[in-house]
Amino acid sequence: MKIQTLSVLNIIAALALAFVIGAVLMWASGYDPASSYYSMLVTPLSDRVYLLSALAFSAPIVLTGLTFALGLKAGLFNIGAEGQVYMGALGAVIAAYFARSLAALPLAFAIGLALAVLWSAVPAVLKMWRGVNEVVSTIMMNWVAYWTVIMAVSTVFANPLQPEESVKTPEAARLTPLIPGTDFTVAVPVAYIVASLMYIFLKYSVWGYRISVSGLNPTAARSYGIKPERAVLAAFALGALTAGLAGVLQVVARPPSYSLMRNLANVYGIGFDGITAAMLGRGHPLGVVLASIFLGVMQEGARHMQIEAGTPFEFVRVVQGLIILLLAVQVLRRP
Amino acid sequence: MIDLILMQALLAAVPILLASLGEILMERSGVVNIGLEGLMLLGALSGPLFVDYLHYRLGVQLPDPLWPLAAFLAAALVGMAVGLVHGYISTYLAGDQIISGVAINLFAAGAVAYGIQAYWGVAGYKQVPDWAKADPLALAAFALALAGFMWYVLFRSRLGIVIRACGEDPESAFNIGVDVNRVRLLATVVGSSLAAIAGAYLSIAYLSVVTKEISAGRGFIALANVVFANWNPALAVAGAYIFGFFDALSYWLQTAGVARYEITRMIPYIATLLIVAGVIGRARPPRAVGKPFRRE
Repeated sequence: MKIQTLSVLNIIAALALAFVIGAVLMWASGYDPASSYYSMLVTPLSDRVYLLSALAFSAPIVLTGLTFALGLKAGLFNIGAEGQVYMGALGAVIAAYFARSLAALPLAFAIGLALAVLWSAVPAVLKMWRGVNEVVSTIMMNWVAYWTVIMAVSTVFANPLQPEESVKTPEAARLTPLIPGTDFTVAVPVAYIVASLMYIFLKYSVWGYRISVSGLNPTAARSYGIKPERAVLAAFALGALTAGLAGVLQVVARPPSYSLMRNLANVYGIGFDGITAAMLGRGHPLGVVLASIFLGVMQEGARHMQIEAGTPFEFVRVVQGLIILLLAVQVLRRP
Repeated sequence: MIDLILMQALLAAVPILLASLGEILMERSGVVNIGLEGLMLLGALSGPLFVDYLHYRLGVQLPDPLWPLAAFLAAALVGMAVGLVHGYISTYLAGDQIISGVAINLFAAGAVAYGIQAYWGVAGYKQVPDWAKADPLALAAFALALAGFMWYVLFRSRLGIVIRACGEDPESAFNIGVDVNRVRLLATVVGSSLAAIAGAYLSIAYLSVVTKEISAGRGFIALANVVFANWNPALAVAGAYIFGFFDALSYWLQTAGVARYEITRMIPYIATLLIVAGVIGRARPPRAVGKPFRRE
């Protein structure tokens, strides 16, 4: 219990300090920290539509956060969610290309999740058979995914009517907003439910136990008759499923475009936001949800900050980097 | 034609070599820094930004050859500052080195995108003026000389024994009177500045442009190269040249119109995966790398 409280205090201290350092950087580059932070953190909470939009931003981050958190549990540093999101989104676009009816929806999930798992199989197999460190292999796979998807979206799956985006999900297959006039689609509850299921899975299932034990101590795992290799494979595959789901949902359940941008703007960075969410949420599935909501608020707030205070929206990532840096200091400070 | 590619490969190898040398120095002392990518980004931005600020906003006049030098100096200082933070976290604060490295990457990705927008008012793309450009060949010579020098220091000098002892067996190093954390901190400061210089090379010597994705995974390719080179600066030259070759090949195939540019752009990453898969197993990292040293 004491560890829990201390850890929450640590996180709050890291957040506060990151925002203070961020304010100095902002001031030094000629922007007003007070009005920027007001737009970033208060404006999104001041209006129902903004708040629901922030929740919509949080949904894919929850899913990629789970990818990274699950990897950590298995002792992996799996930063491949970014590329797996691209592949998931590509799957949804492929489905939209071949099926122009409701059938595109199940097809989107099937192809998207399959592609994402396939993408994670490469670093998983390289790690198993050749002992390749997953940090390098997953980043390389992210870049291969980046160029693969850009090529696919600008050639076969290009939208002849709108050159900036891919073919759109057919109207019958779209998951439209649950609350009209907002971005709040079924993606948000789905992401939170997946996080809850992940919590139950890790805490109560046999496989969850195998993954945790393998991550904590592979040698001990072996003596319990657990094969750490299989736990690693399971963590890669399950992580790819949630990341792929994030990509599919960004296409079929994200107004207004229901497509993939040619420059990947609507999927770019989601995997890396997940790393931030997982670290901020201390690798706990429900912590990931809370952290993602916080990041979602920042992301929604970034738009207001750019319009109202003129501060470039990229600044939120500066603050997020600072938060993680400060968390790194405290990781080993647990009593 | 082939000699042109071999020349291009050398130029493409320089940033990978410089960052690899920095990482080898850090890891040999016991500190892992996966923030190379972020350091490169920060170096790529801070060099041109600093000379632009001196030239246009402060009106400083320098003889032409000094401008690129000033840019490299600025990048090196930024790298040292980040290295100081990472080194301090990794040693005296006994923090998590991997998380700190990730934080550097995340921070840099944000800071560079933000910096380009905040300073030049353009979204993610800024040309480097001619007067600030450096000769890439000079940097290539510098990187090669540095590799030789670092090999000598690490494997043929007393200082090298001390550095390697900190990474292999810090307990024993401490027992013979080495201040392990101080050695590690200094190695991290110097190593990080090399990665930032690699970034400045990209923007002011090699590509002549600052973009928010200018490093394009080269920091991670350098991490792969460190393993490939088995933490040896001399082998890192060969490794960097191979990785550089695929980088050059990718651009050559693109300009030759052999394949769509999206396909040629994948070549360096796929090559890295294949190379890493082929060599690992015989590579052996320094034994205490990534583990904070604390006297009991």
